[in-house]
Amino acid sequence: MAGRGEFGVEARGVTRSFGSVQALGGLDITVPYGQVTALVGPNGAGKTTLLLILATLLAPDAGLVRIAGHDVRQSPAEARDALGWMPDTFGVYDQLTVDEYLAFFADAYGLPKQERPRRVRALLSLVHLEDRLGQPVHALSRGQKQRLGMARALVHRPRVLLLDEPASGLDPRSRIELRDLLRSLAADGAAILVSSHILSELEEIADRVVLVDNGRTAGDHAMADLTGAEARVRWRLRSLDPGLLTTTLARVLDGQAGLEATADLPGGAEVGPLTEVGAAALLAELVAADVPVTGLAPAGSALESAYLAMTENRR
Amino acid sequence: MTAHGVGLMARQEIRTRLRTGRWKTLLAVWFVIVNGLGLLLRLALEASDTSEFGEEGVPMFGGVLLGVLVLTLLVTPALGGQSINGERERGTLATLQVTRLTPGDIALGKLAAAWGTGLLTLLLTLPCVLWPVAEGAVGLGRAAVVLLVIALLIGAVCAVSQAWSALLARSVTSVLMSYLTVFGLLVGTALLFMIGVPLTSERVDHGDHVHTNERTERVWWLLAPNPVVVLADAAPRLPEREIVIDGRVYERTPSSDPLGDLSREVRDIREGEKPYVEVNSATPRSTSDEYSRHDRRDKDDQKSVWQYGLLFHLALAGGSVALTAARLRTPLYRVPRGVRVA
Ligand SMILES: Nc1ncnc2c1ncn2[C@@H]1O[C@H](COP(=O)(O)OP(=O)(O)OP(=O)(O)O)[C@@H](O)[C@H]1O
Ligand SMILES: [Mg+2]
Repeated sequence: MAGRGEFGVEARGVTRSFGSVQALGGLDITVPYGQVTALVGPNGAGKTTLLLILATLLAPDAGLVRIAGHDVRQSPAEARDALGWMPDTFGVYDQLTVDEYLAFFADAYGLPKQERPRRVRALLSLVHLEDRLGQPVHALSRGQKQRLGMARALVHRPRVLLLDEPASGLDPRSRIELRDLLRSLAADGAAILVSSHILSELEEIADRVVLVDNGRTAGDHAMADLTGAEARVRWRLRSLDPGLLTTTLARVLDGQAGLEATADLPGGAEVGPLTEVGAAALLAELVAADVPVTGLAPAGSALESAYLAMTENRR
Repeated sequence: MTAHGVGLMARQEIRTRLRTGRWKTLLAVWFVIVNGLGLLLRLALEASDTSEFGEEGVPMFGGVLLGVLVLTLLVTPALGGQSINGERERGTLATLQVTRLTPGDIALGKLAAAWGTGLLTLLLTLPCVLWPVAEGAVGLGRAAVVLLVIALLIGAVCAVSQAWSALLARSVTSVLMSYLTVFGLLVGTALLFMIGVPLTSERVDHGDHVHTNERTERVWWLLAPNPVVVLADAAPRLPEREIVIDGRVYERTPSSDPLGDLSREVRDIREGEKPYVEVNSATPRSTSDEYSRHDRRDKDDQKSVWQYGLLFHLALAGGSVALTAARLRTPLYRVPRGVRVA
């Protein structure tokens, strides 16, 4: 694996407060090279704050933060050279054209002059904006600006990529393209940290997921564990006789803690979290009770279930 | 910090500035207003014809330059008053800060762009400034010195405005503070001086009556930072001309020279007011006697004031740039109120 150290990002015990608000309270995270790591957590959990600290913009109150092996406090310049950062909201220089915008950042990152035009073209085709060459930035749509911001973050070929909600505002095709782009960058050995609220999508992009709640690491899972047969998810049941389904479910689930059925779905109910084995057993019981079951399918994803379980106690 | 970084930032700033708003229209309006005012002043001077020897060039030069100074200083806060917080508000500052550009690059590059724009506005006033020079009323040297001083003062105000924009979160507030700073320099210093004079004056008890002596030499420095004072005092003196009255030759400076008059005034203030004494009177010479030859002639021993004012402005500019760079430094330890880093 390329580079110093095995982690693109290594953060241990990071704390940060803004006045009386503690945004981060001892957060640990590592982002290995060659993988996409997802950062997931509710609003205000501290994801953006963490990414600002990793991007060398904000100093942590305490804790150790290394980007590509460089301590962000002692050598921010080296860390900056290694990282590409895309903020959740950002502005672009509206007065410039798309290629002038990227050429400016190529220059600011110290790319040699003769290399810049080629790099700009490569980046524009990477984010599928090549037909916008020479057009003013202010004419771009929100999603196109988002893609331009992605290109800006990649301008100096960083080995560590920090993306704060990069998919917001993207159309379905652009999201798939973003997913493919991130996967290919990871395959080339980049360490990628993505924060997002779109869990179903992260399942396809990410290799690992780090759950953050209240400024702390609340979980660190390999995506394979969450999506495998052992994953506990919620299941959606459909029946020809919803009334019978509901009463039978209430009877069957009575003894089992932590499993409640939601019966207000039209023509069905939702139960869980259950593993596949548990779901099969439940189905057998329902069939034995003569409930005309027409469907049993996982509702939402394992990641969603883990996320909901984490945030459950705050309701 | 590198020359390349500063240059890159300056070019970027100028490019984005030139493409926003109606710069060409604004500059054209500025050109017409300033030169129109200069022309009107000239016509007024010719109509009244108060100056001696039919020489309107000298008062025109002084009047126009004082006007140009005040007008450019009034325009300058708008140039740099939102360069940092405006960029933060638009969400582009943080993307700059994560590049190789250092805080010094950003601060100096933006300052260079603002100053350059300020110098452009100064350049557009040249027709009416150089008219008296072309006429031969004012030497090229005097014009050059005066323009250089204005250029430096514009730079200092740009730097201060930029520091305000780095200090304050909202661009509206920082532009307002920049204007207040210019107002303070132009008017506030004079007001403070006027307040300071009675406060520092000396009561002399003559037994039968009490008399107060104004001791302006104690508070002259309050006037030194005033841009008008700096400009007038730094302007080289016009050559004295000889007048023959009743067979005697007098040397006197040209009358109605606003810059020279102002300069003599502040130098007198710096020395402190002394009672008028005949130069060749028989009164015993005291140490203060050398100051007593008071007429409209230039005194070689009069101490100038402008260097203090200019030094003040240069120090102010240096401090402002340092402050701006310090506020741009990342990682940020203390996040200012009302600021989201990105
Ligand atoms: N500059 C600031 N001043 C004061 N409080 C702040 C500042 N920045 C962040 N916070 C607080 O820190 C906490 C974490 O904010 P952060 O933006 O990191 O959340 P987030 O996980 O990115 O949320 P979201 O999912 O909504 O983007 C919040 O409670 C927020 O109010
Ligand atoms: Mg956020």
